[in-house]
Amino acid sequence: MINTAQDLKEYKKRLKKALDNKFLRTAMGSFATAYKEAQGRLLAGMDVPALTREIAAGKDAALPRLEELYEAFKARAEAAGVKVHLAQTALEANEIIAGIARDRGVRKIVKSKSMTAEETFLNNHLENEGFEVVETDLGEWIIQLRHEGPSHMVLPAIHLSRQEVADLFSKMTGEPQEPDIGQLVKVARRELRKAFLEADMGISGANFAIAETGTLGIISNEGNARLTTTLPRVHVALVGLDKLIPDLATALRILKILPLKATGQVITSYVSWITGANECAPGPGGKKEMHVVFLDNGRLALAQDKVFSEALRCVRCGSCANVCPIYGLVGGHNYGHVYIGAIGLILTYFYHGRKNARAIVANCLNCQACKAVCPAGIDLPHLIKETYCQVLQGEEKQPLKNRLLRRVLKDRRLFHFLLRRASLVQKPLATQEGFLRHLPFFFGKEHEFRSLPVIARIPFRDLWPRLYQQVAKPRYRVALFGGCLVDFVYPEQGVALMKLMKDQKVQVEYPLGQTCCGLPAKMMGEKEVAREVALQNLAALDPADYDYILTLCASCGSHLKEAYPKLLAETPGAAVKVQQLLDKLMDFSSFFTRVLKVKPEMFKGSKKKVAYHSPCHLCRGLGVVQEPRELLATAGLEYLPARDEDTCCGMGGSFSAEFPELSAELLKKKLDAVAETGADLLVTDCPGCVLQLRGGMDKRGGKVKVKHIAEAVAEETN
Amino acid sequence: MASKKLVTTMKEKAAAVQVIVSEVQNLEEAMAYAIDVTRNQGGASLAAPGWDEASRPALQAGCAQAGLALLGENLREHAGAIHTGLTRADWGIADTGTLVLDASSEDLRLATMLSETHIAVLPLSRLRATSMDLEPELNRLALAPPRYLSFITGASRTADIERVLTLGVHGPLELHLLLLKD
Ligand code: SF4
Ligand code: SF4
Repeated sequence: MINTAQDLKEYKKRLKKALDNKFLRTAMGSFATAYKEAQGRLLAGMDVPALTREIAAGKDAALPRLEELYEAFKARAEAAGVKVHLAQTALEANEIIAGIARDRGVRKIVKSKSMTAEETFLNNHLENEGFEVVETDLGEWIIQLRHEGPSHMVLPAIHLSRQEVADLFSKMTGEPQEPDIGQLVKVARRELRKAFLEADMGISGANFAIAETGTLGIISNEGNARLTTTLPRVHVALVGLDKLIPDLATALRILKILPLKATGQVITSYVSWITGANECAPGPGGKKEMHVVFLDNGRLALAQDKVFSEALRCVRCGSCANVCPIYGLVGGHNYGHVYIGAIGLILTYFYHGRKNARAIVANCLNCQACKAVCPAGIDLPHLIKETYCQVLQGEEKQPLKNRLLRRVLKDRRLFHFLLRRASLVQKPLATQEGFLRHLPFFFGKEHEFRSLPVIARIPFRDLWPRLYQQVAKPRYRVALFGGCLVDFVYPEQGVALMKLMKDQKVQVEYPLGQTCCGLPAKMMGEKEVAREVALQNLAALDPADYDYILTLCASCGSHLKEAYPKLLAETPGAAVKVQQLLDKLMDFSSFFTRVLKVKPEMFKGSKKKVAYHSPCHLCRGLGVVQEPRELLATAGLEYLPARDEDTCCGMGGSFSAEFPELSAELLKKKLDAVAETGADLLVTDCPGCVLQLRGGMDKRGGKVKVKHIAEAVAEETN
Repeated sequence: MASKKLVTTMKEKAAAVQVIVSEVQNLEEAMAYAIDVTRNQGGASLAAPGWDEASRPALQAGCAQAGLALLGENLREHAGAIHTGLTRADWGIADTGTLVLDASSEDLRLATMLSETHIAVLPLSRLRATSMDLEPELNRLALAPPRYLSFITGASRTADIERVLTLGVHGPLELHLLLLKD
C-alpha cells in the first residue's frame, strides 16, 4: 500500500533512509545519466520546441471542450457497440467496474498498465470484492506482488534489483530463481500467459481517447495491452477525461514524441487503436463486451482553472522525473504519491489531497530541469510553487519563516535595516575569507555541509555613490538590478562589473528603490508577497529610462522573466511595463559578448584553467548557454568542461535550508565533477550558486577558487 | 513503388529494433522462408490467418512436407502451441520501422501475439514515409467499426528489471519482416 509522508518530519526521515539506500542511489544515478545522454542523441535534428508548442496548443484547445469531446466519443463508441460510462469520483469508477464484473460472472481479471487505475486504487477495490486481479505489465506485476506503488510512471519497479526480483519470484513460484534477468522475464512470461488465458475480464488504460472516431489508443512495449484487450471476453478501459482529444492527427503528433521522451524509443513496440466491440470468440455473439469508463475526479473543474489547467496537458511520459535531480537522489516513492515526479507533486494535491501533498510539494529546487524537457510544455516548477501556496493556505498554522517573510520582505526599509543589523551582529564571527565562523545555534548539524558567508560590512547600495561614473554621450543607458545577494553579501561582484564598464561608454544606474526580486517569497509559496515586491521593483525601474536592464543574478533575472508576467497579469498597466522590462532584461555575459562585444585585446590572456557551472536559472531560465563560455574564452581563460555542468548545484534558495541533506548531496556531486577537470578556478554567473559552491568548497578544503564570472573576467583585464 | 530511400530507411529503422529483415520476390518465397525458420527453430506449427484462399494449398503442401502443423481457424484453441505466425502487413511506416496491421480479426491478433516468432510480409507498394501519411486510411478504417488496428515495431520487449532490454516478455520473441516486391 502506498503510504506517503504526511508531514515534513516524517518525510525527512524517509529521505534520509533513501539517501542511504546504495542500490537505489546507483540505479537512479545511472538511469539519469543514461537518459540524458540518449535524449541528446535521439532528439538531435528534431524541432522539439515546435512539437512541444503544437502539443500544448492542441491540448489547450481540447481542455475547455472536454465535455463536448466526451459526448462525441460516447456517441461514436456506443454506435459501435461499446458502453461508455462517466464516473465523477474514483470510488464511482471502481464501483462501475466491479459492477460490470459482478454482472458478467467474472472471477479472474488481468490488467495492463493504467496510471488512472492506480489513481483510483482499483486493484484494492476489486480484490476486496473478491475478484482475482493480476497485473500483466512486468513492472506492475512485480510491485503488485510486493504490495507497493509504482516508483516511476513508465518504469514502475525501477527501485528494485534483479536479486530482489529473483527472491520475489522464488517465493511466488516455490522454486529457487537465479538473479538472471532473461530467466526472470521467462518466468513472468510463463506465469502471466496462464493468467491471460484464464481471465474473464481485461482492464486497460488508454493513452488517447479519440472523439472523432470513438477510438482508444493504447501504447505498450510488452504487448500485454494487446493481450489484455484481446483474450478475455470482457474489456473495460479506465480512462481519465484528460485523455480525450479531437482526432487521430492529434494522437499521432503526441506519439511522435511520447515514446522518445518516455523510454528513448522512436515508437513503442505496440500501439493499438481500438474502435468498437471487436471480434472475440468467447464473447456474446462472438463479440467483445467492451466498456469505457471515463474518470473525472476533478478533471473537468481542473480544466477550467486558469492557473492549473495546464497540468492536464500531461501525456505521462515520465521525463519530468527522469531529469529531476531530487528524484535521482531519493526515488519515486519519496517523490510523489501515485503520480511521480514534478507532475506528481502537483497532481497529488488534486487527486489525493493536501495531506499527501503537503510534505513532498516542498521538495523542489525550482531548477527547471523538468520544465525544459516536458513535451507538453507545462511550467512544472511554477505549478509546484502554486500548489505549495494552496497547501499552505489550507494549513491551520503557518510556518514561522513564512510569517516572518510576510512581515519583512514587503517593507524594503525594514528588510534592509535588518540586513545591516545582522551584519553588525555577525562582525565578530567573520573569518578572513568572509565566512561565518560557526552557524547560529538554531541550525542543526545537517546544515554544516557548507560555510555560510557573512553579510557585507558595506552593502553595494552604500558603495554606489563612490562607484557611480557619469558618462558623457553614453552608447547605452543601463540599469543594474542587483538582487539581495549582490547588494548585501557579495557587493564585490557589482564592483567588478563597474570596473569592466569603465571605458565602455555605458551609463550605469543603480536605482535605489529596488528591492528583493521576490523569488524567495515564491519559493516559500508566498504569492502575495512576491506580487507586492514585483510592483515595488517595477516602480523603481521604469524600463522607459533605459536601453537595458542588466542583472548579475541569474535567479533574479529568471524570476523577473518568468514570474513577473504571471504575478502581475491582473494588475492594470503592469503587464505592459513588465513586458518592456523583459524586452530589455539581459544577463552579464550576454551583455558583454552580444552588446559590448568585448575583444581579447582587453585582457591579459593568462590561460588560467577554469571550470564553469551553468546556473539553472541562466541556462534554462533565461536560455543563455553559449555566452558565458564565449566570454571566458575572450577573457583569455582556458575553459575545461565538466560533467553535468547544467545540473543544479543544490542551492535552490530556501530549499537548501529546508532540505540540507539533499542540497549537500547535489553539491558534493557538483564539486566532484569540478575536481575532475583539474581547474584552479570555478566560475558561474549567479551569486546564489557562488554562495553554495564557495561554501561547499571551503568546507571540503578544496583548492579551487569560486568566483562570479564578473569578478573572474574583471581580474583578467589589462 | 516505394522509393529506394524509403526502403532503406525502413530496413534501417526495423533493424534498429532487432527486426530481422529480408526481401522476397513472391509469396511462395515468403512461405518457404516461414517454413524454414519454423523448422530451424524446432517449431512444430504455423498459423497463417488473413491470407486468401488461393495461397492456402501452397502453404498446406509446404507445411505437410516439412512436418509442420498448419493451424486453422479459432487459434484460441491452440493458444500454447503457435510457433510461427505468418501474416501480411497492411502498411509499413519507414520513419519508425513500423508495421501496420488491420488486426480486427481475432485470429490475426492471436497469431501476432501468441506466437514465438512473427513473420510479416509487407508489399513494398504499401510502404509510407510517416504515420501522418497514413492518417486518412486509418481514419477511414476507424470510421467503419469495429476495428482493431495495430502498429507493431519490433518484438515484444521490456526493460522493467534494472532497465535491461529483454525481448519476448509477452508476445513474440522475434519479428521477421519480409519485403515483397510487387
Ligand atoms: S524544478 Fe527541478 S527539483 Fe523541482 S521538480 Fe523540476 S526538476 Fe525537480
Ligand atoms: S508533466 Fe510533462 S514531462 Fe512530466 S510526465 Fe507529464 S508530459 Fe511528461
